[in-house]
Amino acid sequence: MADAATIPHQDEEDGELKRSITGRLLFFYTLGDVLGSGIYVLIGLVAAAVGGAFWIAFALGVTVAAITGAAYAELVTKYPQAAGASLYVNKAFGNRPLTFLVTVSFLAASMAASGSLAVGFASYFDTLWSGPPALLVSLVFVALLVVVNFIGITESVWMNMLMTFVEVAGLLIVLVIGIVHIFQGNADFGVLTQIDTSGDYGSPALAVLAGISFSFFAMTGFENTANVAEETIDPYKSFPRSLVGGMVVAGLVYVLVSMAAALTVPVETLANSDAALLEVVKQGILPFSTDFMTTLFSVIALIAITNTTLVTIVTQPRVLYGMAREDVVPGVFAKIHPVRRSPWVGLIFSGAVVASLLVIGTLVTEAGGGIDLVGRLATVTVVLLLAIYAIVIVACLKLRGQDEENPFFRANTPLLFVGLVGNLAILYFTIYDDPHSLIWCAGLLGVGLVLFLAEYFFGSKGTGSRAPDLDSQEG
Amino acid sequence: MHVIVATDGSRQSLAAAKHLKSFADPTKVTEISVIAVIRPLASVAFADDTSEGKAKWPDGSFRDAAQSAVDTIAAVFDGWGPKVNKRIRSGSAANEIIKAAKQYDAGLVVVAAGGRGLSDSVLVGSTAQRVQHYAPCPVLVVRPAPKPRKPRS
Repeated sequence: MADAATIPHQDEEDGELKRSITGRLLFFYTLGDVLGSGIYVLIGLVAAAVGGAFWIAFALGVTVAAITGAAYAELVTKYPQAAGASLYVNKAFGNRPLTFLVTVSFLAASMAASGSLAVGFASYFDTLWSGPPALLVSLVFVALLVVVNFIGITESVWMNMLMTFVEVAGLLIVLVIGIVHIFQGNADFGVLTQIDTSGDYGSPALAVLAGISFSFFAMTGFENTANVAEETIDPYKSFPRSLVGGMVVAGLVYVLVSMAAALTVPVETLANSDAALLEVVKQGILPFSTDFMTTLFSVIALIAITNTTLVTIVTQPRVLYGMAREDVVPGVFAKIHPVRRSPWVGLIFSGAVVASLLVIGTLVTEAGGGIDLVGRLATVTVVLLLAIYAIVIVACLKLRGQDEENPFFRANTPLLFVGLVGNLAILYFTIYDDPHSLIWCAGLLGVGLVLFLAEYFFGSKGTGSRAPDLDSQEG
Repeated sequence: MHVIVATDGSRQSLAAAKHLKSFADPTKVTEISVIAVIRPLASVAFADDTSEGKAKWPDGSFRDAAQSAVDTIAAVFDGWGPKVNKRIRSGSAANEIIKAAKQYDAGLVVVAAGGRGLSDSVLVGSTAQRVQHYAPCPVLVVRPAPKPRKPRS
């Protein structure tokens, strides 16, 4: 080896641990994760529930979510590890069954979210190519994301940022259409104050609450930022700013987009559409061919949904991995592929559970179950996450005064109580409105229980912690 | 010469470190930097299969996993001669290894590569390949020994 070896220089940052996630990246991570999950998929349902004033539902929903985000920011700056809610609940209550329940709920919520997003993906895909059946499209979509995740393409921070820009661009198109529509003098601002009380919900308050409940799926996703907590530079500064800031920006975008949609498209049309934001583009308000705009917008929506689904599919095997390392679920979930360093068993398992959700959901719908699969799975996600959010806020309050040696972000206490009440109110209403979603929640939590029992009865102690990759041995 | 030994927490990377020690002349090696790269956006940001350390659920820390892998690899060179640095970086594995090689003016980068069979030949773009292509210095890629053939009966 030709060796022009220089004098070994002592570099200044010797021994320092380098982190890579800057505040800016964290902001885009939050924004991308939150924005993709739902507005493209669910805006029709929200419009149907509330009427022209459905922007109020988005505004209130995002407020509750942002307060919850503040609780997360406080906890993440105190305990900057990747485990998120499970860790906080464990620190606060020290109760293993409760910790297990929260972890499994989180896993179940994430799986239901992937399912809902995959169905939403199929709806937008249908506008590009209506050949294949929706179920097939969503199954292939999930399978592809599992493969992409296995290979590790998802790990590019820049790709993440690029996808977020595309997502925002899509929503900007809707905004521009709204603004052009207003300047053309066609907008009837009266729509924005109309609350539909003729439908299922007799009073305006109930209608708005229903809207919040449906729209809340669009607020979720910020909890996944705990994934990168450990690798964030200066988390004390960047977390509150990026997490809460990301939520506020997302909320602003939501409110403006809802207004633009309500002004340009009759509410009934939005309510009856599977891909509601497309209706805005189809109005032909911009001087481009409607076909071109529809295609462009569909592609953008597909990218947005993909971005968010990717994060959910990254998170699931991670949760399983953490539990397997500690012998809570079978050790096989701690298996790491020797080359790709991916938890491949957990990935395949997560993909399989999401796929069966899609298949079962489609079968139930076809058997005349009369459910909207996107809405049902979104509701399941929302029920589970609202319960987790409420517990996290309680954990945040309970952990006050502990582990406060290092600087941490302190969320405003009265606001936390408001957030707690808000989460519980939406949770109560969501269950009241759709009690069947509890069956789905129970089914998904049952998967966690089965895994636990499998490890309890058949697992051997310590298999998880070694995570053997049998075929590579020392030479 | 400054040698970089990269670890992804795999046992193959431990084998790579031992391989370096088996033939290299410790008097020619001035310094060794053991580097682990945490991938923040990956499902499992870092998994350590080289040591028996047990993570405590649910606060399992990927930093701790990276630290224990780096410790295990560094222990291979205990008492061998050269000064050993332990370093943990964060980001894309290949990029960070290449950056470190430039930054430390490395004379050699040691990486482990792949397993055997399908996954290795079908999936391109592995860390080792990218390091080979873009490193500013020679690269030692330690591959797993082929499986012993079963004697034909």
